[in-house]
Amino acid sequence: MLRLGTRKLLDRSFTGLGVLSITLLTAALLILLAPMCLRGIGAYVFQGTVEFRRVLLEKLQRGDRDELKRELAATARARQPVFDALLAFQQELDRMPATQRRKLKPEFEQVRAAVKELLGPLPGEEIPLMMRSQYGQTRWDRAQVKIRKILFAEDYDFSGGGLGRKMLKPRATTFHGTALEPLFAYVEHHAVAMLAPQWTFYGRFLTDESHDAHFFGGIGPEALGTLYLTLGAILFAVPMGVIAAIYLVEYARENRLVRLLRICISTLAGVPSIVFGLFGLAFFINTVHLSANKSVLVGALTLGLLILPTIIRASEEALRAVPEAYKQAALSLGAGHWRSVRTVILPAALPGILTGVIISMGRAAGETAPIIFTAAVSVGKPLTLWQTLSQPTPALPWNIYNLCSEHVAVDEIRHVQYGMVFTLVVLVLLLNLAAIIVRARISKGLRT
Amino acid sequence: MQTQKQLLIAGLVALTVAAAQAAGDAKKIVVDGSTTVGPIAKAFAEYYMKAHPDVNITVSESGSGNGAKGIINGSIDVGTMSRAMKTEELDAAKGKKRNPVQHIVAFDGIAAVVHPSNPVKNLSKDQLRDIYTGEINNWKKVGGPDLKIVVISRDTNSGTYETFQEKVTKSERVTDRAEYVGSNGAVRQRVQSTPGAIGYVGLAFTEGVKALTVNEIEATTDNVISKKYPISRGLFMYTDGAPAAGTALADYVGLYKTADGKKLVGDQGYVPVQ
Amino acid sequence: MRTGMMNSAKSSLMLSRSANRNQRLTRWFGEGFLLVVTSLSMLAVLFILIFIARDALPFFSWTHFKEFFVSTAWYPTQNPPSFGALSILFGSLLVTLGAALVAIPLGLTAAVCLSDVLPFRVRQTVKPVVEMLAAIPSVAYGFFALIVFAPALQEHGGPMLAWAFWLVVTPFLALTLLVLADLAAARFAENRQSLVRGLVFALLGAMAAWGLWKTGRRLHGLEISSGTNALNAAIILGIMALPTMVSVAEDALQAIGRDLRMASYALGATRAETLVRVVIPAAASGILAAAILAIMRAIGETMVVWMASGNAARIPEPWYNLLEPVRTLTATIAGDMGEADQSAGSAHYHVLFAMALVLLLFSLVCNMISERMIARTRRRLR
Repeated sequence: MLRLGTRKLLDRSFTGLGVLSITLLTAALLILLAPMCLRGIGAYVFQGTVEFRRVLLEKLQRGDRDELKRELAATARARQPVFDALLAFQQELDRMPATQRRKLKPEFEQVRAAVKELLGPLPGEEIPLMMRSQYGQTRWDRAQVKIRKILFAEDYDFSGGGLGRKMLKPRATTFHGTALEPLFAYVEHHAVAMLAPQWTFYGRFLTDESHDAHFFGGIGPEALGTLYLTLGAILFAVPMGVIAAIYLVEYARENRLVRLLRICISTLAGVPSIVFGLFGLAFFINTVHLSANKSVLVGALTLGLLILPTIIRASEEALRAVPEAYKQAALSLGAGHWRSVRTVILPAALPGILTGVIISMGRAAGETAPIIFTAAVSVGKPLTLWQTLSQPTPALPWNIYNLCSEHVAVDEIRHVQYGMVFTLVVLVLLLNLAAIIVRARISKGLRT
Repeated sequence: MQTQKQLLIAGLVALTVAAAQAAGDAKKIVVDGSTTVGPIAKAFAEYYMKAHPDVNITVSESGSGNGAKGIINGSIDVGTMSRAMKTEELDAAKGKKRNPVQHIVAFDGIAAVVHPSNPVKNLSKDQLRDIYTGEINNWKKVGGPDLKIVVISRDTNSGTYETFQEKVTKSERVTDRAEYVGSNGAVRQRVQSTPGAIGYVGLAFTEGVKALTVNEIEATTDNVISKKYPISRGLFMYTDGAPAAGTALADYVGLYKTADGKKLVGDQGYVPVQ
Repeated sequence: MRTGMMNSAKSSLMLSRSANRNQRLTRWFGEGFLLVVTSLSMLAVLFILIFIARDALPFFSWTHFKEFFVSTAWYPTQNPPSFGALSILFGSLLVTLGAALVAIPLGLTAAVCLSDVLPFRVRQTVKPVVEMLAAIPSVAYGFFALIVFAPALQEHGGPMLAWAFWLVVTPFLALTLLVLADLAAARFAENRQSLVRGLVFALLGAMAAWGLWKTGRRLHGLEISSGTNALNAAIILGIMALPTMVSVAEDALQAIGRDLRMASYALGATRAETLVRVVIPAAASGILAAAILAIMRAIGETMVVWMASGNAARIPEPWYNLLEPVRTLTATIAGDMGEADQSAGSAHYHVLFAMALVLLLFSLVCNMISERMIARTRRRLR
């Protein structure tokens, strides 16, 4: 037999274990949310450079024209020494002996390319077609990455045999004694003057269209698409779900059919979300031809099916929670069954139903797998209400996936990816918060 | 026979004109298909919409198969594909009275890339094949350090994979050790962070990793144009019938022939059609 | 019961024969309408089954049946193609198993803690944490797994694993030793007991510490060649499945009333003993149902495994090696559907539906079992 002391210790450590697991749970949530929130906010609030304000004015007609003109003049002055150095070295390069030229030219090309990435096209150059090469870096954090690229060359030392060792070689030493040498120190110390970073709040990130495959602009079409899909799903699932719940709670007698119905509802809740997606494709698109290809309508219907069981269950629970006395009172006042459901029971259950609806809205907004084959595309304009019947839309969940694993320049647009995740998570969590508040109201209401 | 053909062509032209007019009324062009051709389609779309703000072009990148399907069903206007249509798909299109017309909008060279710390500079095409079929599994065997090779491949569903298979591994199977990732950018990222890795990407994606020479030939735009570089392929747009001249669709698809279009293609890292 | 009461209320209010008939008619129609709408969810289940099966069966009818379940060669685009899905089925199972190992113990202890240990006030604040974990969209989990967790695992995987191992195993080992020492000491005479206890504890403790150190060092030195692997997917999936496990298990524990607990306390049991010996066994079927639901959540999840599992269609070597990349059913469906040529009715298109059918049938069976379990708990409590 165990000693009493040991038993007590075990008991206490059991408590400790429980507390530990709760701590782990909370820690997991924090670790998950911290990077998303911290870096996600960076899509809205960041140090925007003069290039950012140029994009805003030239592409979106926003901002003060004269102010920007002054700023551009100032930064252009600050940039001039860089362009001068590039030009001077270009001429020097032509005069160099061939061996030295062959050695320095490729690296000079790298420097030139990096400068173009940082500041935009060089003066006198033809304006490039791609928007991403028309402007320099719009964000100060990205600009610093590019500055590092100008200052240092990544090189590998293979002398030891086996894998090479990485070395950061300052380019200033490579170009020592040439006309390019002063450029590096200048870029390092005058970056702020060249780009004029300023803390910027870019709230329209949420509503702006993206430009040049998310290099510029915001996530407007995605946010709108998510809104359409979510509302569509709710529009379809809520009436169905609430009616089903009313039937199951108020009218159904316990017979085989009803038992079967209940089994089906719980089965529907267990179907993997990707299977819903395949079903949407096979049924709505390939069989019924609701729309020729993917469309918001099909996506919303598929999502609606997905959240239907949740809504039925939540509504059922809410209806059952209405005190029996309410019904009896309504009936004793002479109301028919349907009338008492409509005027007494349903209103009493409404907050509970609402909680379920809000939570399933969050679910519908965040689901990705069902809309891959039924509604989501990677690029598109914001749709009008009428177009949702036949056209597909970008949507936040799908585009998060698309941008972080299929985009051409995954690293360059990290902030957009984080911004999208942040927006989606905040949206879903706000919905959940609303549900929690509604529920708290109910429990307070029931207590008094 | 001759007249029948002429009739058919006339009918098709009439059909496409009608279709183009219908599309012209709505002023929308729906593009779907390959993720590889996606950047070109998107760049063309932005370029075209800037000049013609009344046209809405939507571009999805749901895969070459979806591009073909859309053309066959008539649900999209342009199907982008990083492989040519298969015979089954062409048959299905004929069965539905469609006439898929192929436009080669660009070429793409596929570069074999390794971690920059890897001393290996060149692989023969056979060595490359042996690495991907799993016969060579250590860098030692191709003149590198004693290090296990981590084989990175594009997803089997991608056109890049199919091209690589067609040009390099041929009928042999890619080793089941290969890790599959979803995009050129992702391959680059994986190779960049893994010293023993080898991957293959479109020419545009070699920054930060080391592109190997294959059979001593550098993977450059020039070598792809001159066909010296052995692993390259065409990228396609398909339309249902040749689009009638003057329509938005014809202008959009025909962009690859214009000087601006060629520049757009080049800027995306692909090789414009000469 | 309700209906009976309603009928009696109604008959007392009956006005006239015709009004009664009208009322009956409308009631009949009304109820019929409600029933039809309710049956929609049944129809949905039926249609999902039918349409997934319709597109899956052509695949199986082409003698691919054996290949699908036996071969590991997944080359859907090769000519000729081969559709061996064994490694993919295995990948799904492996990742799910890993997730279950994370979610079930952690979820159960958290549920116990929520239902029996924490005071009401703390519980009110912890519950939203669980709800938030459940609410975060799967693609956000996947994003985290791919962008944050995978690089961390690749660069500091060894130390991370070693510390996690030490943190989890050390307390358990210490407790086990304590119990063992106690049990051993109980065999000796009263005056020698503390000596024996100390000896046994020291001896076993030294051995355990050595083992801990050795295993930890081995883990510490581990080189993880790829951060997107089965382990990554399993951990993240485990966290995703936690809320299901916690809330269903907590419901089951709460359903065991106070009486049982009070009786156990009255017999002199501590809280831990009450929980382990009385409450948890009584709620076993409900807890099992929770575990099954958590597993279903894990196996049906798409985005996380698509982004974090590495997608190599191959059984790891050795089979339990979680550090190798695997490919799952859901990720294969999501990734391949775009490229499979859909119109021509290719085998590649149909094999993806076959995978969906496997998933669907699995979840149907699981669902049935968990429903049974929950019903059983309810019946027993009544």
